[in-house]
Amino acid sequence: MNRKKTSRLTNQIVFVGPAILFFILIIAIPFVLGLYYSFTNWDGVSGKAAGVGFDNYKQIFMEDSSFRDSFWFTARFTVLGVVITNVAGFFLAYFLTKPLKTRNLLRTIFFMPNVIGGLLLGFIWQFIFVKGFSALGSSTGISFFNLPWLGTENTAFWAIVIVFVWQTAGYLMVIYISSLNNVPKDILEAAEIDGASRMQVLRSIIIPLIMPAATVCLFLAISWSFKMFDLNLSLTKGGPFGSTESVAMNIYNEAFSKNRYGLGTAKAIIFFVIVAIVTSLQVKFTKSKEVEA
Amino acid sequence: MKRYTKFTLVMMLAFSLILSACGSKEAENNKGNNAETGSTGETKTIKIFQFKVEIAEALNRLKAEYESTHPGIKLDIKTVGGGSDYGAALKAKFASGEEPDIFNNGGYRDLETWFDRLEDLSDQPWVADAVDVAKEPMTKDGKIYGQPMNLEGYGFVYNKDLFTKAGITETPTTLSQLEEAAKKLEAIGVTPFANGYQELWILGNHTVNVAFAHQNDPDAFVKGLNEGTEKIPGNASFLEWTKLVDLTLKYGNKNPLTTDYNTEMTMFANGEAAMTQQGNWTQVQIDGINPDLNIGLLPMPINEDAEANDKLYVGVPNNWVVNKNSAVKAEAKEFLNWLVSSDAGKKYIAKEFKFIPAFKNIEATSEDLGDLGAEVVKYSQAGKALSWNFNKFPDGGMNEFGSQIQAYVAGKSDPNELLEQLQKAWDSLKTK
Repeated sequence: MNRKKTSRLTNQIVFVGPAILFFILIIAIPFVLGLYYSFTNWDGVSGKAAGVGFDNYKQIFMEDSSFRDSFWFTARFTVLGVVITNVAGFFLAYFLTKPLKTRNLLRTIFFMPNVIGGLLLGFIWQFIFVKGFSALGSSTGISFFNLPWLGTENTAFWAIVIVFVWQTAGYLMVIYISSLNNVPKDILEAAEIDGASRMQVLRSIIIPLIMPAATVCLFLAISWSFKMFDLNLSLTKGGPFGSTESVAMNIYNEAFSKNRYGLGTAKAIIFFVIVAIVTSLQVKFTKSKEVEA
Repeated sequence: MKRYTKFTLVMMLAFSLILSACGSKEAENNKGNNAETGSTGETKTIKIFQFKVEIAEALNRLKAEYESTHPGIKLDIKTVGGGSDYGAALKAKFASGEEPDIFNNGGYRDLETWFDRLEDLSDQPWVADAVDVAKEPMTKDGKIYGQPMNLEGYGFVYNKDLFTKAGITETPTTLSQLEEAAKKLEAIGVTPFANGYQELWILGNHTVNVAFAHQNDPDAFVKGLNEGTEKIPGNASFLEWTKLVDLTLKYGNKNPLTTDYNTEMTMFANGEAAMTQQGNWTQVQIDGINPDLNIGLLPMPINEDAEANDKLYVGVPNNWVVNKNSAVKAEAKEFLNWLVSSDAGKKYIAKEFKFIPAFKNIEATSEDLGDLGAEVVKYSQAGKALSWNFNKFPDGGMNEFGSQIQAYVAGKSDPNELLEQLQKAWDSLKTK
């Protein structure tokens, strides 16, 4: 009995111990430190920091309109980003599981943007929006290309959405492909014999059966688009005039450019709570939709 | 029993991994300690984190030269600047524990922020040679905490050949003369102004500084803003300054908000645009694109008073500072001293970086400095210089002011609203 217990303990230490150790070092300790800083007025550089109680949180809710603006921006971005990436990812997967000759090549091509880092992508697309589009615009005269893409609030917003979708749809596609391949062939065949149309098969058989993949994909897309930072930084830097500043970037600016580390961490804590609530609700909701074949 | 051996093996493996990780860390620590005590025979690395993109290449040549004449010293130079946020990058470096030994500091407000990290450099031999005004930004309580990098001046960089072609014989020194010139330039099919208004530093530092510099006493004005006795809305110089911004927009390039620094300079250097708000630091870049360009610097007038407007904005852009907690403090100081006192260092400052020296013992001919540098020297020697005030702004001021002016450029606010937004930004940023 006793021996069994100790052996189970060693088992756990050996297999879970390292992971827990790194989790504590890399995530738990910084998180607790951040929580502590959020109650101080530390500027991020000097040796002096004084506790200010809940003042930082009060200031965020009462006075900080830029945080609200960036939250609104992030919320709109998340809704659009999540819907479009998932729809695009799913349909890419749907068509690339059909017997096409260029299937593997196309899969690689669509996945490729995900391999390039977000920072680099941002710079590439900045060049495309600023130089490429205007060159196309002046040679073809199509007004779509002549828009000042990164220069107005609306177009800059869409520019980020476009690049985000382009970057992440390929990744979700891979997840959906693996799930589509697991849909049992016999069910599909049976449906075909019963005379179901393509839309009916898609709606009543395929989609319910790939809900586990949708849970994962939605979760990924939501947390990615909520936390989007690198794309934002390299593509628009929050501009023009701060209209495309995501929450992550607002926090970064607060802590590192306005030298208000305490206020920045307080924002980060609020942000964490909101993202945690939204994603757990989503997981709970989509889990309930999952069915077994 | 067999199972036990397996576990022991696994445990040993895990421990050895952890131990080896600790071991390598210890070795690193030892290295640091050795550097501090100055034991001989080991290579010491001075980590430099600097801001001037324009001199990054020349710095690499300097690095090779310094390392060959100073055996045992290695320079590790990193550059973050231009369109990037140097201050934020520096803070991230410190937060991650990778503290550089030498870095840059803008002085004034920036000095206050970083004060706890800075080594007192008052006893350094170069202090006596520094130009007096250049010491000001880094002086606190009579002590000096940084070595001025250089002097810089800005205004409208202009293309002299295009001006001649457009028939502009006299350089404009008032707002209406500037508009006249712009009209003439437009008539010959040239864009008068290249506006790189995508860059927040162009707007939030240099452009807005024009209004600050035209106050009777800029320092008192900044102090008044912090204490609430001065206001930006309704301030005469600020109102006049919005007219200058309007002028650059009216006669400027298409889509100024998507024009970045590089595009702006390329437009100017290719002769597509005749003027652009920049300073002598662009000389290297312009020479790189079009070395034969005949260029000069114009003042940025905000009203009709020719005498008050015929001035350039001259200041110390940056200072070298030494990290107080650095393990190679002595070596870092020696390097900075070498930079401004050795012949090789002086040569780099004047001829390679094309800096306007902030030191009396460094000579730079107008040939070294290029047209723009020579123009700044000419103006400042004639006493026709206005101050740089953006390092007196509260932290984060550049981004906020830049964003507000961008909103104005996009037509989101009128002049009065802009000034009110600037005031609001100042009030929310100033330290309470």
